[in-house]
Amino acid sequence: MLRARRPAGPALAATAALAAVLGLAGCGGTDASGGTGSGAPVRGGTLVYAVNTEPINLDPHASPQDITGLFTRPALDSLVALDAKGGVHPWLATAWKISADQKTYTFTLRTGVKFTDGTPFDAAAVKANLDHIVDPKTKSQLAAGFITPYTGTTVVDDHTVRVNFSRPHSPFLAALATAYFGIESPASLKKGPDYLARHVVGTGPFVIDAFTPHQSITYHRNPDYNWGPEGAAHTGPAYLDKLQIKILTEDSVRLGALTSGQVDGIASVPPANVKQVKANPKLTILTREAPGGNYNYYPNTASGVFTDVRVRQAFRAGIDFRTIVRKLYFGTFSPASSPIAPNTVGYDASTENLGKYDPAQAARLLDAAGWTGRDAQGYRTKDGKRLVVRWSFAKAFAREQRDVLAVQVQAEAKKLGIEIRFADGTITELIARQVKGDYDLADFSWQRADGDALRNLFASASISTPRSFGQNSARYKNPEVDGWLNAALATTDLAQRSALYAKVQQKVLADGAVFPVYVFDYLLGANKRAHGIAWEPQAYPTFYDAWVTGK
Amino acid sequence: MSRRVVRTVLVRLGTSLLVLWGAVTAAFVALHLTPGSVVDALIGSNTVTPQVRAQIIADYGLDRPLWRQYLAYLGRILHGDLGRSYQLHESVASALGSQLAPSLQLTLVAIGLALLVSTPLALFTARRRRWVRALSSGIELVGVSIPTFWAAILLLTVFSFRLGWFPAAGATGFGGLVLPAVAVAIPVTALLTQVTREGLERVLEEPFVLTARARGMSDAGVRTRHALRHAALPAVTFAGWLFGLMLGALVPVEQIFSRPGLGQLLLTAVGGKDLPIVMGVVLFTALVYVVVSSALDVLYLVIDPRLRGAAR
Repeated sequence: MLRARRPAGPALAATAALAAVLGLAGCGGTDASGGTGSGAPVRGGTLVYAVNTEPINLDPHASPQDITGLFTRPALDSLVALDAKGGVHPWLATAWKISADQKTYTFTLRTGVKFTDGTPFDAAAVKANLDHIVDPKTKSQLAAGFITPYTGTTVVDDHTVRVNFSRPHSPFLAALATAYFGIESPASLKKGPDYLARHVVGTGPFVIDAFTPHQSITYHRNPDYNWGPEGAAHTGPAYLDKLQIKILTEDSVRLGALTSGQVDGIASVPPANVKQVKANPKLTILTREAPGGNYNYYPNTASGVFTDVRVRQAFRAGIDFRTIVRKLYFGTFSPASSPIAPNTVGYDASTENLGKYDPAQAARLLDAAGWTGRDAQGYRTKDGKRLVVRWSFAKAFAREQRDVLAVQVQAEAKKLGIEIRFADGTITELIARQVKGDYDLADFSWQRADGDALRNLFASASISTPRSFGQNSARYKNPEVDGWLNAALATTDLAQRSALYAKVQQKVLADGAVFPVYVFDYLLGANKRAHGIAWEPQAYPTFYDAWVTGK
Repeated sequence: MSRRVVRTVLVRLGTSLLVLWGAVTAAFVALHLTPGSVVDALIGSNTVTPQVRAQIIADYGLDRPLWRQYLAYLGRILHGDLGRSYQLHESVASALGSQLAPSLQLTLVAIGLALLVSTPLALFTARRRRWVRALSSGIELVGVSIPTFWAAILLLTVFSFRLGWFPAAGATGFGGLVLPAVAVAIPVTALLTQVTREGLERVLEEPFVLTARARGMSDAGVRTRHALRHAALPAVTFAGWLFGLMLGALVPVEQIFSRPGLGQLLLTAVGGKDLPIVMGVVLFTALVYVVVSSALDVLYLVIDPRLRGAAR
């Protein structure tokens, strides 16, 4: 999912630094009562967590938002669980079988599971959920797109279901493990989209008490819970009596709430404040690398100056992305070398030796491409025309100092003789340009816990058109790459898929269809009284194993 | 009732309707002039199946020509139906209804606070020694100039993060209302003080003030019993005007303090091209303007007896 944010306002960011300094000055002194993960877990208490965005729609079957996944995960279980290496483990399904033609998945369901509204969990419930996701009336903006070949679910008996596809679809189990495929109570699914947008009922370790838009969501423990995912740190009910997630969109406010002890943890510590938080003896920073597409720049390979592969290669070789990233983020985010993050299934580590900074080679490539002239400002020209790159950018929505990063890249490009012009706009304007292909350069990150993220980013079917939006911002079209990506869909064998995804990464890098920038880490600031916060594959924190010690 | 009164009321009603129609039309045109189709904005940066896309278009009638969408919208409004939000899964009326109370509460408390502070401040500083006035106008200038979001963050940092007197954000009840109200009230107080003082100073020059003083009335008496009533007229006009402008100030304050309200509603809606919500908020704001300015006309008669003769 493209992690777009609501406007923060560039001016607000400047104030954030000031407030953070003042806020931190008021803290320190007393010792923390323990370290994260140390000691025996304690039952009881409330954990308060603050996040930076808010769900518009609480139903994960319909909503594409990251934050909807985070908000509903405590209340929803999935059929299977995914580990960081791409391994699939039992959860609400105890076993599954994939047919020889890879088109049918048969799940054996756990018995004795109850939704928190009292409805029993059974095969019919699973069918109701999958059918709900693909129902056009649900207007699913994410989940349905993950199972496009889905043809239906057959209830074999009370605790066996068969899910059918029209063609092999290997990313199915990984998708099924996400909160977007969380199993909701069939009784509440019947109440329709308006109800589901505010109320979600599942079988999870927590029960949602109240969701107040723009403000917060509160949960209490599900005392009957006894069906945690394989791989969790404990079994049985959650430790926490209560869980509260507050929406604090301003970075400085969230940080201040953490440093003053008003919340136990916060999402998205601004990279510039990571050091300050680490220096505070009461606080700690937890990080988790997000799988899927890194924060990358994508050149438009279909029109404009970047149609020439030599210009694209020159842009990658002539700008020292690795140094810029290291200097700007002080090691908080590491430089990327592949389009996908190292913890994504199918990541090719050999890409780390590619894309070395080589300005001389870049100059040679630009000369060869015919950009040999120079104008008064020192920019390269061809036939009297300046080498200009139009970058479709949303400054007001830029997070993690991406706007600062962009300006530094602009300065480096100037040394190469390339002029970068920012076409600033709102997200809606950016989408309009994306649909028309009216840009030379675009930038975004695309989190997804599966190597199939590469298909979103580089398959020719994923190029935006006026009829459908796609993430292939490079507008990259290569039948060979399409072939590998489709072959990867047809096999669930991790080794085979990885080999195919490695080929894709090598090819798109050689073609200069992507300029990898940095690997996104979820930066969680936590008070040391909070323990056991874990992560789900998409790098959202989970609270099933979490516990708190006294203030 | 005389025919003149009836005519005045009718003209008033007619112009009010015209204002409302103008506001709705302007909002409709402006939203459609920004680049990007509505269905693309609603789908955002996600890939949806063609069926979902078709469903969205069909549900909201987005395939109809714009003039028909516009006429359909006007028709619905005339029947008192504000439509349904594209994104929030509720009707515009219920979205407005649930967000109205917190915004109204914040606005009223902030304006009340501003009046409470600015009136004595103006009374105390009008026609005083030069340094008193200079100090006061200096502070007022700062009050008007500092951006609301900055004041809000500063208030939070000092009174919540450091002193711990108030909850940071997202709190309900009185404790959660204090800091946001102060943040909204700061520029309003500064402006109101200036306007009231200017009015007071003008009145204090009047001959009748001299007469009052000659009759042996105390300075405080002259200021509060005579001058304030005269100076109140421009101040009340101004406060009414500010009430309408408040929505702008609510946007950053509601966001920073994580308060539900119209500002947050509008911000999300504009970003996501949620047209029905934007139009609903615009229409509502225009309505508030009309109601407030009509109420002010009545209030003038209460404050200034001379105007009552003119109306008759």
